[in-house]
Amino acid sequence: MTLIDFIIAALKAIVILVAVIQVVPVMIYVERKVAALIQDRPGPNRVGPFGLLQPVADALKFLLKEDPIPHYTNRLLYTLAPFLSLIPACLVIAALPIADKAVLFGREITIQIADLDVSLIYVLAIGSLGVYGILFGGWASNNKFSLIGSLRSASQMVSYELPLGLAAVGAVMVFGTFSLREMVIQQEGTLLGILPNWGVFYQPIGFLIFLVASFAETNRLPFDLPESEAELVAGFHTEYGSMKFATFFMAEYMNLATMSGLMTVIYFGGWHLPWVSDAKLLEILGSQNLLCIIQVATYIFKVSVFMFLYVLIRWTLPRFRFDQLLTLSWGSLIPIGLINIVVSAVLMYVLGGK
Amino acid sequence: MKEAVFTFFSLFTLLTAAGVILSRNIIYSAFNLVLCFFGLASLYLLWGATFLSMIQILIYAGAIVVLFVFVVMLLNFEKPTEQKTRFSIIVLSSAGVWTLALILLRVLSKSLGEIPSLETPAKASVRTISKLLFSQYLWPFEVLTVFLLALIVGIFVLARPEKEETP
Amino acid sequence: METLLPLAILLVVTLLLCAGILIVTQVLGPKNPVPSRFEAYECGIKPESGSHVPFKSSFYLIAVLFLLFDVEAAFFLPWALVYKDSLAEGPALLWALLVYLGLMAVGLVYILQKKILRLN
Repeated sequence: MTLIDFIIAALKAIVILVAVIQVVPVMIYVERKVAALIQDRPGPNRVGPFGLLQPVADALKFLLKEDPIPHYTNRLLYTLAPFLSLIPACLVIAALPIADKAVLFGREITIQIADLDVSLIYVLAIGSLGVYGILFGGWASNNKFSLIGSLRSASQMVSYELPLGLAAVGAVMVFGTFSLREMVIQQEGTLLGILPNWGVFYQPIGFLIFLVASFAETNRLPFDLPESEAELVAGFHTEYGSMKFATFFMAEYMNLATMSGLMTVIYFGGWHLPWVSDAKLLEILGSQNLLCIIQVATYIFKVSVFMFLYVLIRWTLPRFRFDQLLTLSWGSLIPIGLINIVVSAVLMYVLGGK
Repeated sequence: MKEAVFTFFSLFTLLTAAGVILSRNIIYSAFNLVLCFFGLASLYLLWGATFLSMIQILIYAGAIVVLFVFVVMLLNFEKPTEQKTRFSIIVLSSAGVWTLALILLRVLSKSLGEIPSLETPAKASVRTISKLLFSQYLWPFEVLTVFLLALIVGIFVLARPEKEETP
Repeated sequence: METLLPLAILLVVTLLLCAGILIVTQVLGPKNPVPSRFEAYECGIKPESGSHVPFKSSFYLIAVLFLLFDVEAAFFLPWALVYKDSLAEGPALLWALLVYLGLMAVGLVYILQKKILRLN
């Protein structure tokens, strides 16, 4: 436990956390620009070139606005609730493997905050804690619309954690491990010679279930009834001003980044380039660190594709009604998830370990 | 070093558990309960029981307390009337708890031999647990599932929505 | 244990971040207590009734069902872990799964049939 070890640990945690937090301003800009493009209007273009400084303006606005606390609320919980959303969102990034080893200070460092041997369950567990911020936020707001919104949002998140878990079970079956890092390492090379050896080709249905469930988990359209902008005002965060509101949003975007990260790691090969194996790249490049940079870049690219997909779908599809949402989860996604597991199990038995 | 972390998390667990009981507001109790489960999960992690700690958070902190909070939010609890507990009751209950703790400590130390250290027993990896679950403990596992099924039916019998709720 | 150190540091940094956000808003924001700002928002009209909703049993049922199915899903996970390796010894785990899943499916069908999830 030398000082160098401690510094490396601290560096890993802080750098990765800051990097994920940077996703938030990028997403704010991307969301508004893409929304504008889809809706055939220019979007933010006043603040800075092409409106690129818009997130900065937004951040400043949030910081400098008044922070009203309504009467009769439970002050402690009211103040605490946005952070109850933020803390799990920050903690869950610890399990995502970003790249293979880098060599610094004479040691090999894995670019992942915590390589638990149960990282997948860790992600599911911490993800299930995201419900508390919503529940307490709605309850502490002394506003019956917030309360309804938060109960509905909580029911939605809770109903969609199950399909998420079932899709993950499918992935665990194929890879035989809970560790996300192991899963990425196993996705190297090619499958049948033509396709990259990615999880999505082993578990296509699992991927689709995971995709749909992740939309619901992060309260994104088409599942954003609880924060529906036209119906319940702003749902459970009606009464929250300035930075607390911004904190909820930070948590939401960070959850998005995490879900995208999960999907790339489990189903799309994580840091691997499609057909090239790592060993060959190492030969070409010569240096482990250079390889590491390429891996990080690949990972970021894949995650960006998913984040873009989230934004695209948000501004394209109409919203689900609440009972449609629940029927989709309990009535369709969970049965499909179970069938997926059975089919995969049978296939694995028949093919003798695919 | 490990002992220091262990002491910290044990104290944390105990304090939040006390918070569950002593809080005036029931939502604070629920929140303290979540923190208590976190403390427990950290303790499991210290022992190397990673699977158990994650399942603890997943199920206890992530589902059971959520259920509690749902119920609290749906039933608008009144503030309990302030009533000072009589001193004699405090004394007697403390004596009772201490006696129980001493008895438990004695029984456990007799059966375990010595207090287990903070080293990871080799048998506790996830794979071994899983293998055991499906070979030696297969029947309890299946019986548990039947039990869960009975629970599902029971919940519906108990909490059937009223007939006036038309679709 | 070394793998957990960055996680602990992450936790501490996250808590510091939250504290920082709180302090910044307290310090920077103007404080202008105008009474009408502090009432519950109901599209600009004065709020009518108390702020708690009548009890809808469906929410409770969803939470309980989630709990039960979460426990079942938690049992799926160790099964999935050892399934691949156990195939070498024959289809015992496959049957175990099918029985387990059958029971779970019975529960699911029961719920769906009772149409409890038809919320308004």
